[in-house]
Amino acid sequence: MTTMLDSSPISVVEALRGDRSTRPLIDIASAGGLRSLLEDGIFEIIGAERLETPLVVRTSSLQQHFATTDLAMSTPGRIRGVLIGQLLRLLSVGMSIDHAFDDAVAAWRGEVGTNELITQLDTLDDDDRARLATDLEAHCVTLTRALGEIPARWMPRSCVRATQRLAGGSVVLRDVVDLMIGTSTSEVASIALFDVTTSPLGEGAERSMRYHALMQTLRTSVMPLRTCTFSSATGEIWIRDVDYELLARSVDDVLTSVRDQRSVR
Amino acid sequence: MTLLHRRLTKSDLNDLVSGALADPVQLTDVHRASLSTRFRAVSVPGHRRLDAWSVERAGRSGNAFRWSPGTARRVLGNASLRRMATQPASVRDAVRDELGDQMLRAASGYSRSGSLSHWLASAPHPVIGLVTAEAVNWATQLQEIAEWLEASWAVPASDAYYDVASARTTLRARRDLVVHNDETRTVVRVRSGSPGKSAGPGLRADLTIEALADHDGLAPVRYIGLWPEAGVCLSVDGTMSDLRSGARDLVRTAVAQRRRGALLAA
Repeated sequence: MTTMLDSSPISVVEALRGDRSTRPLIDIASAGGLRSLLEDGIFEIIGAERLETPLVVRTSSLQQHFATTDLAMSTPGRIRGVLIGQLLRLLSVGMSIDHAFDDAVAAWRGEVGTNELITQLDTLDDDDRARLATDLEAHCVTLTRALGEIPARWMPRSCVRATQRLAGGSVVLRDVVDLMIGTSTSEVASIALFDVTTSPLGEGAERSMRYHALMQTLRTSVMPLRTCTFSSATGEIWIRDVDYELLARSVDDVLTSVRDQRSVR
Repeated sequence: MTLLHRRLTKSDLNDLVSGALADPVQLTDVHRASLSTRFRAVSVPGHRRLDAWSVERAGRSGNAFRWSPGTARRVLGNASLRRMATQPASVRDAVRDELGDQMLRAASGYSRSGSLSHWLASAPHPVIGLVTAEAVNWATQLQEIAEWLEASWAVPASDAYYDVASARTTLRARRDLVVHNDETRTVVRVRSGSPGKSAGPGLRADLTIEALADHDGLAPVRYIGLWPEAGVCLSVDGTMSDLRSGARDLVRTAVAQRRRGALLAA
């Protein structure tokens, strides 16, 4: 399902949750099979060798297979991405945003203290800083309009991390889901994953959505209900129901990334 | 050593809880006196604090502690879940109430400098938002795990602390849920990230400290460590050999810490 913000009268969260009566029963059987597919595929690539430095797969590893210029990976693009993530976290607990840029920067500093990206933010001149603040404000308006209010009973959690060690630790899968709603204790599938990007949606976004669903399945052994990606640049949202086929495609994506990384070592 | 490794699923967790020993092991005054003697032999100028984290890091000190949304989440998240047991509310409301109480404590002058209340009272509005988000994450995760459990559970009011007599040493064991089964108890501890090679010794240290901190010296029948980010759990049984190993690891950590301190001084 693809929805454009201007054509959607309902909030993203409502679209993600959908009609409870049509949700399937939770699937706790598929995780083991997916793990086996991954282990077997990795064994075919790296064999029984134990790598000293593990191959690490993240959503960013799945984005491009060829060299292109991605503006989202520029320094202002990365800072913007981090800041919109902070704003989403504040929105997820019902905080009001007064000044998007100032609030996001204050939250970021409170979380990490100092790091390389914050140092780069501090070295921006006044023009660049003002441009970034205006840009972020626009993204925040788009995100806030689409998200609506997130009810507490849907148990929203932000910045949910997952790590999986495969092939005895030779391959490590890492993931961070921007927002997760629903519970794994219900008898029907109810977990929905929401990812926000400040870039327009493309093929890479599709892979990321699948990867989030795969990682969530491996982590909890429960298949999520839906996965989605929202672009705060265009207001476009892609929502996919999670099924075994989608997860198997993500396994292929991961194996392709492992193969690529292995071949350049 | 009785280290078990399982995936973190409802059935595996309940199997770990129900499959624990039937009779708890008891530590006596002789055990306590013996531990005290060993720690006194490894004296340090100041007061020493040891926990599972220091055992896992072989006594190496990490970065200086500072309050942040990440370090505040467990205290607030656990307190919120405890609050929800008596006053039904959403996780978000329980976290907000807990934050309100913490800030009230600071406003009424009951918090000391460096405490969580003190830090929260001076934190800017967006940081409070992020603290809320982190605490909601923690409490929601712990609530899900607790709802999986088929036996009755409780969120303990604090971690387990034990002062080793005459050795200027305080031991601390992390505990997030205590599961009661007749006369026995199983302790559940939640950690972020994924377990490292020394996760087992860390769990044994927590087991030993928990037993020492118990008034009657009764050890939990099993200590379960959960790593939800990795989706795995490890457990150690409350046997005498695991308790002894835990105590040995704690003393070894004290020795390593003293050696490191002596090297720095030189």
